[in-house]
Amino acid sequence: MAEEFEPKIVAFLCKWCSSAGSDMAGVSRMEYPPNVVPIQVMCSGSVSPLYIFSAFNKGADGVLVSGCHPGDCHYIKGNYYARRRIHLVKKLLEFIGLEPQRFQMSWVSAAEATKYTQVIKEFVKELKPLGPQTKLRRNP
Amino acid sequence: MAKIEDLKEEARKLLREGKIKYIIGYGTGSNGWMAGPVFIKNPEDVDKLVWDPTCVHNLSRFLVDEKRRKAREKQPDKRPVGIFVKGCDSRAIVVLLQEKFIERNDVYILGISCENGGVVDEHKLTRKLKGEKPKKIELSDNGQFVVTTGNGKVEFPVGELLAERCLECQANFPVISDILSGEKTKRPPEKPFGSIEKMERLSQADRWRFWKEQLNKCIRCYACRSVCPMCYCDECVVDSINLAVSADTTAEEKANKVKWVQRSAESSENFVYHFVRAIHLAGRCIDCGECERACPLDIPIRFLNKKLEKEAKELFGYEVGFDPAQPSLISSFKDEDPGDFIR
Repeated sequence: MAEEFEPKIVAFLCKWCSSAGSDMAGVSRMEYPPNVVPIQVMCSGSVSPLYIFSAFNKGADGVLVSGCHPGDCHYIKGNYYARRRIHLVKKLLEFIGLEPQRFQMSWVSAAEATKYTQVIKEFVKELKPLGPQTKLRRNP
Repeated sequence: MAKIEDLKEEARKLLREGKIKYIIGYGTGSNGWMAGPVFIKNPEDVDKLVWDPTCVHNLSRFLVDEKRRKAREKQPDKRPVGIFVKGCDSRAIVVLLQEKFIERNDVYILGISCENGGVVDEHKLTRKLKGEKPKKIELSDNGQFVVTTGNGKVEFPVGELLAERCLECQANFPVISDILSGEKTKRPPEKPFGSIEKMERLSQADRWRFWKEQLNKCIRCYACRSVCPMCYCDECVVDSINLAVSADTTAEEKANKVKWVQRSAESSENFVYHFVRAIHLAGRCIDCGECERACPLDIPIRFLNKKLEKEAKELFGYEVGFDPAQPSLISSFKDEDPGDFIR
């Protein structure tokens, strides 16, 4: 029997909220799918669109950008910039015909370990039926 | 159609008085009927300037080159440069001013309004003429394009030959100028984003098929980057040469330099390149269509930029190139920006 497809997700987590949230999920021994490769960034606003394109280019099946809730940014307004920029990236990726489910953004605070596991669980569930991402991948 | 006689007179005066360094304008191109850029230093040469519907180029790109040249000179000539602009080109200058790349007194803007016309699409013209060579194209007073060929004159309705971007143009007159020729007639397009909406209606699979086919063609000549007035970065992220190499740089360091995008013209790399270009031009592209014109493989690059222009307008109410004082799209935000796509 063929093995079930396990998507690979690259998650850009901001240091102050989402990364701390994922850490809390870990130390609280919460269970969630092991499909995520977390990358800690200083702020969701520091995620260049190029990081996202590059992740898809190098074989990610899904990309997640996660930051602090609006108003909670450690740098006051980084996540507001991110919200605009990521929205444009999402629209662009959809426009060229990438499945919209493959690129997600979420707000996860340092206390929301449960929400973090929830986001990942849903993301994995949505990616599984799509199969591997070959559209933007180098040497698929 | 606007007449440029007054502009020529003004240009001659300015050159004679030495108030401007030189003039960037349109002259007759090398093929005899398409206009091409000309640079005029002597007042006697002002008569070389032309204005007709083949003046497709966005000359503001030359302001970028001018700035570079000035930066290299030891004692730069600080006089302004005269430049002929259409509506779209003037908005490119507004964006350059907004980004403080150039200053207002670096340029003397001679604006021409397209009024009810615009510029012709070369491909459309070739198809219409079925192999005949055009000699001259004019816009008649009753709003028709009059094309003179070897066999006489042919008239076409404006809409049949006009470039796609002119049909979607929202301000066909210069938004800033020192001297203006023609009327500031606003001609609201029926569908400002018609071509994009047509594509959005396609299914996701069809859109993917379209873009895959189009971007597969790309040979990565970077003509679109070279011709774009907004692509003025000294170092481009797409070039993987921006590693400071010193005597101590090891071969390993050079080999392991992170390359965001490979140079090879493969589909996957082409996508990254065009994504990056589109995102970098979000809120800056003024839809002059130069990238598409310069593309040797006829990739509809304009669509990517136009799509983001549409989203910027619909999501954030941002319009490009009207106000030099407005903060740029990416470096600003509003509390009420939509966030419903975020979990």
